[in-house]
Amino acid sequence: MSLKYESQLREPLVYGNKTYHQVTEDIVRPIEAKPTKLWYIGFFISVSLLMFGVYSVYREVVYGVGEWNLNKTVGWGWDITNFVWWVGIGHAGTLISAILLLFRQGWRTGVNRAAEAMTIFAVMCAGQFPVFHMGRVWMAFFVFPYPNTRGPLWVNFNSPLLWDVFAISTYFTVSLLFWYSGLLPDFATVRDRAKTKLRKLLYGIASFGWTGSTKHWQRHESLSLVLAGLSTPLVLSVHTIVSFDFATSVIPGWHTTIFPPYFVAGAIFSGFAMVQSLMVVIRKVFGLKDYITIGHIEAMNKVIVLTGSIVGIAYLTELFMGWYSQSKYEGYTFWYSRANLFSPYGWSYWGMMACNVLSPQIFWSRKMRRNVFVTFFMSVLVNVGMWFERFVIIVTSIYRDYLPSSWSVYYSPSIWEIGFYLGTFGLFFTCFFLFAKYFPTIAIAEIKYVLKTTGESYKDKMEGIENENVEDFAHKHAH
Amino acid sequence: MEKKYWQSFGELNNSEAFQKSSKDEFKEDLPFDEDKGLLEAKTPRRDFLKYLGFSTAAAAVAASCEVPVKKAIPFANRPEEIIPGVANYYATTYVQDGDAVSVVAKVRDGRPIKIEGNELCPITSGGTSARVQASVLDLYDGARLRFPANYTSSVKGKELTFDAADKAINEALATAGNIVLLTSTINSPSSLEVINQFLAKYPGSKQVTYDAVSYSGILLANEACYNKRAIPTYRFDAAKVIVSLGADFLATWISPIEFAKQYSKGKKINDASPEMSKHIHFESVASLTGSNADERFLHRPSETYAIAVGLLSVLQGGEVSNIKDTKLIAGIKNAAKALADKKGEALVVCGSNDVNTQIIINTINEILLAKDKTIDWSSTYNVRKGVDADFAALVEEMNTGTVGALIVIDANPVYSWLDKAKLKSGLDKVKLKISLSGKADETTQLCGYVVPSHHYLESWGDAEVKVGHYSFIQPTIYPLFKTRQWQDSLMKWSAATTDYLAFLKSFWATKLTGTNSWDKALQDGVVMNSPLAVATTFNSSATNLALAAVQNPSSGIELQLYQKIAIGAGQGTANPWLQEMPDPITRATWDNYLIVSPTMAKTLLKIDLSNNGQSDSYEVNPPKKVVSIKANGITVELPALIIPGTHPDTVGIALGYGRDKKVGKTVVDVEGNSIGANAFPFAKIVNGTVCFDINNVELKLTDKKYPVALTQTHNLYDTPHGKRTEVIKELTLAEYKHNTKVVLEEREKELAAYGGVADFREGGSIYKPFDKPGIKWGMSIDLNSCNGCGACVVACNAENNIPVVGKPEVLRFHDMHWLRIDRYYSGDKENPDVVFQPMLCQHCDNAPCENVCPVAATNHSSEGLNQMTYNRCIGTRYCANNCPYKVRRFNWADYTGSDSFQNNQDELNNAVHYMNDDLTRMVLNPDVTVRSRGVIEKCSFCVQRLQEGKLKAKVASRPLKDEDVHVACAQACPSDSIIFGNVNNPESEISKARKDSNRLFYSLEFLHVMPNINYLAKVRNKEEATKA
Repeated sequence: MSLKYESQLREPLVYGNKTYHQVTEDIVRPIEAKPTKLWYIGFFISVSLLMFGVYSVYREVVYGVGEWNLNKTVGWGWDITNFVWWVGIGHAGTLISAILLLFRQGWRTGVNRAAEAMTIFAVMCAGQFPVFHMGRVWMAFFVFPYPNTRGPLWVNFNSPLLWDVFAISTYFTVSLLFWYSGLLPDFATVRDRAKTKLRKLLYGIASFGWTGSTKHWQRHESLSLVLAGLSTPLVLSVHTIVSFDFATSVIPGWHTTIFPPYFVAGAIFSGFAMVQSLMVVIRKVFGLKDYITIGHIEAMNKVIVLTGSIVGIAYLTELFMGWYSQSKYEGYTFWYSRANLFSPYGWSYWGMMACNVLSPQIFWSRKMRRNVFVTFFMSVLVNVGMWFERFVIIVTSIYRDYLPSSWSVYYSPSIWEIGFYLGTFGLFFTCFFLFAKYFPTIAIAEIKYVLKTTGESYKDKMEGIENENVEDFAHKHAH
Repeated sequence: MEKKYWQSFGELNNSEAFQKSSKDEFKEDLPFDEDKGLLEAKTPRRDFLKYLGFSTAAAAVAASCEVPVKKAIPFANRPEEIIPGVANYYATTYVQDGDAVSVVAKVRDGRPIKIEGNELCPITSGGTSARVQASVLDLYDGARLRFPANYTSSVKGKELTFDAADKAINEALATAGNIVLLTSTINSPSSLEVINQFLAKYPGSKQVTYDAVSYSGILLANEACYNKRAIPTYRFDAAKVIVSLGADFLATWISPIEFAKQYSKGKKINDASPEMSKHIHFESVASLTGSNADERFLHRPSETYAIAVGLLSVLQGGEVSNIKDTKLIAGIKNAAKALADKKGEALVVCGSNDVNTQIIINTINEILLAKDKTIDWSSTYNVRKGVDADFAALVEEMNTGTVGALIVIDANPVYSWLDKAKLKSGLDKVKLKISLSGKADETTQLCGYVVPSHHYLESWGDAEVKVGHYSFIQPTIYPLFKTRQWQDSLMKWSAATTDYLAFLKSFWATKLTGTNSWDKALQDGVVMNSPLAVATTFNSSATNLALAAVQNPSSGIELQLYQKIAIGAGQGTANPWLQEMPDPITRATWDNYLIVSPTMAKTLLKIDLSNNGQSDSYEVNPPKKVVSIKANGITVELPALIIPGTHPDTVGIALGYGRDKKVGKTVVDVEGNSIGANAFPFAKIVNGTVCFDINNVELKLTDKKYPVALTQTHNLYDTPHGKRTEVIKELTLAEYKHNTKVVLEEREKELAAYGGVADFREGGSIYKPFDKPGIKWGMSIDLNSCNGCGACVVACNAENNIPVVGKPEVLRFHDMHWLRIDRYYSGDKENPDVVFQPMLCQHCDNAPCENVCPVAATNHSSEGLNQMTYNRCIGTRYCANNCPYKVRRFNWADYTGSDSFQNNQDELNNAVHYMNDDLTRMVLNPDVTVRSRGVIEKCSFCVQRLQEGKLKAKVASRPLKDEDVHVACAQACPSDSIIFGNVNNPESEISKARKDSNRLFYSLEFLHVMPNINYLAKVRNKEEATKA
């Protein structure tokens, strides 16, 4: 990497004339300082939401899934919609860390830590739904293939829900390891700067005895590469497998072969949007604009417009196939239950179209890509749209399937269903606030790593060199 | 000097002892002593503390036991005939308000838990109805009266012993004056004898028969025409052409189970003889029978007379007059032509209660030579004998004060009589009122003495449904409460020396011949005397009088009051199974509503069903617009349901709702208000009979909405993207005759892409199908003979412990029925063709539910059953989502009280609560697991019965036969539409049914889920083909 040379035409990845010390100071400051009032307010709101969610789940566990408004026809509603939504969000982190690492995309260093944290928290949130949507959650351990005295009775390896169990638990484990291994040198930094005994002790334990020796660094590098290699297929597999929940079924609107790539694109789309939402806030609140630069934001907006267009094509393909297949059942689902604005759930389909396909097109404009407010607004809109997408896929398919006799009454969520969803927001932000307070939100070591090649000060220094003529340069440096 | 009267020497001498004892109110020491000091008390302080300590400790010990111990005590001496875990079956008879159906009660460990039809009964041949199936639950109804009571004393409803009640009533009756026995129709010959003995004891007393919905019109018309006040046997099986003027003979008219059975015979059709009966129906409000008709014509209720006259006129070569609707005129001519072509094999029936209309119908039947062919006078019905005028006269009599005592048996006029005010004022003038009903119904509540009678499952007795057809009643359980059957009460009051059982035995001793004849009669449940040939002559002068009394159709909006198949005239209101059974026509549960036609909906409700947006919003949102209905000076507000098959100017309201709260917990909604409105007061007396068709009705849309719990919200299988012919198949008789393979060819076309019908099983998948050696269960449902009555639905409820979830849950689409009857419309939007499709788990060989379950809780048995393992289920509902038939049901809450979580039923509605009390739970079938919260359940093909049948064959060391297994739905079906058996046995009924019919199809066959239930396509006997 040290041989890397980057043209100074490229924007620097770190602004300001930062030294290594300054980088450390800037990033560790929030950990060492007292939290701001804003932090307390945010944390309180998050914990309140979490508590409401816990109560909502308590009701569902004690009184039954009847606390939700699902019915004999619509067996999955907000629960699985939210599950897929959170899993989708949980895609960006690993994509940024693993795939961009393999592709040597230097800009990832500014956002990868927070994005990975977000992934882990999002997958934690996602995991709540398949667990608590069960009618008998206390029997949830039945989904694990462990040796037992019931025959032994094994799980059903044909079931996509079982594949989900493996896919998501693997993804979560690898993401967690990846994230944590990246944190080790930074924890060590915090430990070394610690002024209280407690902080020293805790960060000491957390940093696993990192001393920064060359051997440590070498192993750390190798581990990162190995984990990146492991994670890369996972980014593609998790949402592919989630899409199998639907694609392998017989229900019109679910039984669709384009689901795997379409789901993966959608997941990256929503994941990047979520990263944007969080980054825009963090860089402002913690004053990290020099590290999470407008260049980062623009790069991610490019990914958003790309993946948004991919899902747009997927939507149009579905509509086309709804007509082209000449299947009356498919035709009804795609053209009436979804595309007809005046059908009961038409609003959700057009909400999805507006948020996911039409609105991201604004990012074809460079000006818009570099506008923080537009970015924030769009990132929220995209996640609303992606929520609609999952809702459309799940609810508008099953609420009217084959037998008109079973077509459902209008399904809308109960307060406890909404409460569960809000609760996962609570969980997510509670974790995120704790993360922002106690963890280095930007990978210090990695920033230092790119500082030499792509930092503003470095580039400034290089400017002089670049403008020098070759002979002068040779003369200066040849002794 | 004043004389002194004294009772004892003590009193005379005013001794000390006497003085003391006269002061003491109580002669013995009382067991409490609060006015003494605590220490002198029998429980002094120290003991008090001891007791306190002990009781606290005992309470603590008792309370710390987690689960209350419920003891099951085994027999010390086991009765010979009871083997624990093995059911006994007793032949008995369901009786209610004159209806009598021979049944067999299944008794497990002393509890009747299921009612089956009695196959030995020639009338029903084992058929049942929803109400018969549900009657076992009435036995365990918590609202039953539990002891004789006196409401005349200062303490209202004071419990009496039977002796005390008899004493008081005997005394009261002796001085009461004219006694009237007010009964519903009594068809028991021995009971009639009991009544006669009672009437003989009290000169001047009489019996008045009151039927809520009477057949006065037919009875009086027959009296006028044939000089017999009776209803002859109708032979729908002998009729090739059936014309019905609003007679709902498959649901509520006279003897619906018998008629359904007969009717289904005319609908059984096969490739060898593609002939079936033709049924033309004229009606005003969509009914079950009308929905089954081959052709249906809509008319105003006030046109009934004109239609009858028109039909007669056309048959005699004349014209239709007094009717404007050209479609209707064409229909009458059409019907007349069809009838005339099949003289001697034609039958016209009419549901009107108007004497003149019925006389004209009699005349038509005479012209059609129906007598002795489709109308059989050798055996007449005893099910409804009441004549409205008799009761109207009694009301007058009561108002004049000449009735001294009224003994009410089963009749409930305070609810169902049209002029309630006058009836009540009359009742006020009757000094002595005694009710012998088993429930605190509206009439019983006004009675001074209540001596409740048994449920029929606790009773002895007999019934003569039709002349010469006897059916016996024997108890299947010891009376649950302090009740006594009313015959015994009457015998006590007529100073009889024996009880009713002895009387019954001696009554039959002379009539039954042969040794053990009584035992045999009880065992079989039925005895039949050969019918006597009866000569009837038709009196044509009655026709002329009837034709002279012209009734002109009205022009305003009309209201027709009708009976629902489950609820009847109120008989089913207290039964949760019947309340939750979706009405076959409206698919609504738990409620009363106004039926309006799609045309009227446009103007009245501002809902245009042909507009997708409006129809969607009407269908997907349970709250329906409320309409206020004003007629006869009464105003009622009800939610409106749009039901095609209803005349545009007619609305319909069901009878049987608006009951008093004491009738049962099911008659009130969650807030405790009585459900629906009582529609009886709308009725009026016309020409001496009660008329349920009301003219000049004012309808007004209110701005209120009221949720109606529908189990099916969408009705058409036509969508803009194609007609869903893979779901159900129907064709006309003309098409079928032209080409019997039309259904098969359609299937070939659907499956062409997968190699056609023959190769579909293997060619439709990359996997080879599994071998299915041994037994493979299958079911065949004939959509042509199924009339959608719902008997199977309730039978399934009873057999499989299916929870009742109540209206609030049904509103949320949480109904739990394993078997439902889907109703689809096709064709004309105002007057559509209707198909009923019983839909239950299809037990697919390639079941989409099975492969998606992460824990393999649902899997396939080696016998082709798709089976559910409740204790493995974790409740992901993935299987239910992936079921194309949507037959899987999830336990959304703890509906059965079988959950390990305490107190988690608090938020559930009343219906769930009262189905879970100890009394009602006695109805549960111990062979079937009661499902806990959070698991999926669905049709098991009655696997408990299959196991029992297999064991029976095994014990007998022979292969399984068809008779060994009967699934509950097939057994209950009155029209034999469901055939169940082993498809691997080429001799079984199911194999034959499948081999013989080209009408066979599988619902959604192209999905390659390979169902084990096949359907036989519906055939309509229509002239023109619906498609080329």
